[in-house]
Amino acid sequence: MASQPPILDEFLGGIAVQIQNRDGAKLQDLLQIEPPLSEAYQRLIQELRQRYPPGPQSDSDLLQRCEALIPRTKGGSSWTAFPTFMKLYFTFLRDVNTDNLLDTYNQLKALLNQCVLALGDSQMGVVVLPTVLYLSKVLAKLAMGLDRRPELIAHILRMEGSMDNDESIEKVTLVEQSANVVREAFIKCLTDRTGTPGPQGKPEGKRVGIYLMANLCLKLLFQCGKLRNAEQMFASITAQSPPLAHFPASQRVTYLYYLGRYLFSNNLFYPALIALQAAYDQCHRQAISQRHLILAYLIPCNIIMGRFPSRKLLQRPEANGLTDKFEQLCRLIVRGDYIAFREYLSPSSPAAEWFARKGILLTIRNRCEIMVWRSFCRKVFIHSGFHGDPQAQAQRGPPPYLYLEKLTVATRWLQSQHRQAQLSNGVNHATPDFHFYGSQVIPEPIDPDFKGLDGSEIPTAQQLLEKFGDYLAPDGFFDEGGHWHENMPGRLIDGNPGADYDAFELDPYAEATEDGPEADKQSLLMDEVESILASLLTQGLMRGYLTHRNPRFAIPGARVRGALPTGFPNIWETIFAREKDDDSVPGWVRPPPPGALGAAGGGRVVNLSGARPVGVQ
Amino acid sequence: MSNSTQTQTKADASEQPQQQQKPQVLEEDDEFEDFPVEDWPQEEAEQNGSAANGGNEHLWEESWDDDDAAEDFSKQLREELKKVEASH
Repeated sequence: MASQPPILDEFLGGIAVQIQNRDGAKLQDLLQIEPPLSEAYQRLIQELRQRYPPGPQSDSDLLQRCEALIPRTKGGSSWTAFPTFMKLYFTFLRDVNTDNLLDTYNQLKALLNQCVLALGDSQMGVVVLPTVLYLSKVLAKLAMGLDRRPELIAHILRMEGSMDNDESIEKVTLVEQSANVVREAFIKCLTDRTGTPGPQGKPEGKRVGIYLMANLCLKLLFQCGKLRNAEQMFASITAQSPPLAHFPASQRVTYLYYLGRYLFSNNLFYPALIALQAAYDQCHRQAISQRHLILAYLIPCNIIMGRFPSRKLLQRPEANGLTDKFEQLCRLIVRGDYIAFREYLSPSSPAAEWFARKGILLTIRNRCEIMVWRSFCRKVFIHSGFHGDPQAQAQRGPPPYLYLEKLTVATRWLQSQHRQAQLSNGVNHATPDFHFYGSQVIPEPIDPDFKGLDGSEIPTAQQLLEKFGDYLAPDGFFDEGGHWHENMPGRLIDGNPGADYDAFELDPYAEATEDGPEADKQSLLMDEVESILASLLTQGLMRGYLTHRNPRFAIPGARVRGALPTGFPNIWETIFAREKDDDSVPGWVRPPPPGALGAAGGGRVVNLSGARPVGVQ
Repeated sequence: MSNSTQTQTKADASEQPQQQQKPQVLEEDDEFEDFPVEDWPQEEAEQNGSAANGGNEHLWEESWDDDDAAEDFSKQLREELKKVEASH
């Protein structure tokens, strides 16, 4: 060992050269931390342990040696963050103990933090950009690995007792902590003032790192479910970034994928569709796994807007694994069986689990059911609506219409079909035949708070107290003056609840009428069917009007085009017509239009607007 | 150092069998991987080197309303509605 020349000197010499050359890539190449480390690094570690064993003295000695690395400026501010970073790098190599991955994580994070500080320097910062990216990736990998395998550090957390600390403090996961550090680096890149900054600018200086850092940060934020934290990032990008088109394809596609997913989860489906379609169109055709993930969001985005994936699309290799899930979904929307649709997306269904893992279950469930109802109404209209009198081309004939009663009849029939199917399968989801409380169309068990209210018996005060005692007889209460009073155990604050109990006060839906329970049953469902139709009409997914007294859906102005196309317009066309005028996508900086001032980069035209109507050649 | 390699390799290795159990190869990971190359021309993004960017192929169905009266659900629904009409 003693015969070998000191490797640290050699190493520091190499670093100094790269600093002098401002060669960030080579600098990063020297600053390895991820195992397995080569022989030379093992020697370096040995030497550090011998010559600079842990302790304040050797740390300050190390720092002194690192300070010699940076060029001295006359009186100007020098790049002090870098020597400190280098010292941390050496102590990291020397001290890291991967038996404790939590410590490793924290040391690595501190190292990255210091490197980000070094990145902040307006002159020299850009030299460490590749190192920041490299360290960020290693940190992200470690954080996400530990997130997936929490048992690797559970014993450490237990030992340190940090798992049962103050409940009132929000726990920040390792992944989120990493995202926060990476975001700092992103901001340093975005706010670099070198050359021409802003949307007119080009990726120069640290700005080349904007989307590299943003993409890594977004990956981490998606992993830890803190999408909301991305909002500020997208806003800053919109305000300050050069156009995305100036960046390499890999960065563009990755960014548009995350942006599209973000917009999708914010219910901005049209901008999401544009971003995801562009990501798909620009993605390398051999990058099957990335294309697959993009499609997993592009397809539901289109379905929600009324456009289904074609057979051709679903036969592409990247659609493998998506086909059956989405085909079945589309089939159910077309069929119009809302109960089958709900069952397909209910917690017990394997498909729902898949949709949930993708983070799209609730969006699909909430946004697509209305289309199922449209199909259902359409079919009922086809079979039992009045389609207008073809003979009476004269002006006098009534417009086509559908009695809503037919819809209620069809709904009850659908419910009975499913009940029978359930019984014959030996499944009993405890779907009551009928109940006065809650929805008439949702065959799910009654909310426990409304359980037992269907009975004719009015609950006794004792029963109420047992059930709602915490409310009726709490430990204390505030009086009109806002003063707190302790309450005797079991004393009813508002007197005896049974005394003026009125069964109907608890019924949020309807009141019993003199027509008798059969008619009431019918009117409850009718109310709900009317609401559903009103919603369809408001959204423009059906066209016409409702009459309430003699409940009908009427389709005026159908003489030319016919009742069906008039009353049930094409969903995609309807939504697209509403959205197409604004094709701006928040978070996506596009080149200024030709002719706009300072169009220096206008020579390179990249077609980024992936969203064009189908069929337009 | 080498410990961490082992641990991480272990972590990767233990994920592998789970993935293999699943029938679809593409289902294994929801992580958007880094691309092996940084940049590529638009031609390499297009399917089968087609001229325009995928817009030529018919990827989306806009008209999917079902007018097939012979389809099971429609048939049953029609019969049921007929029954009710007759009873009125």
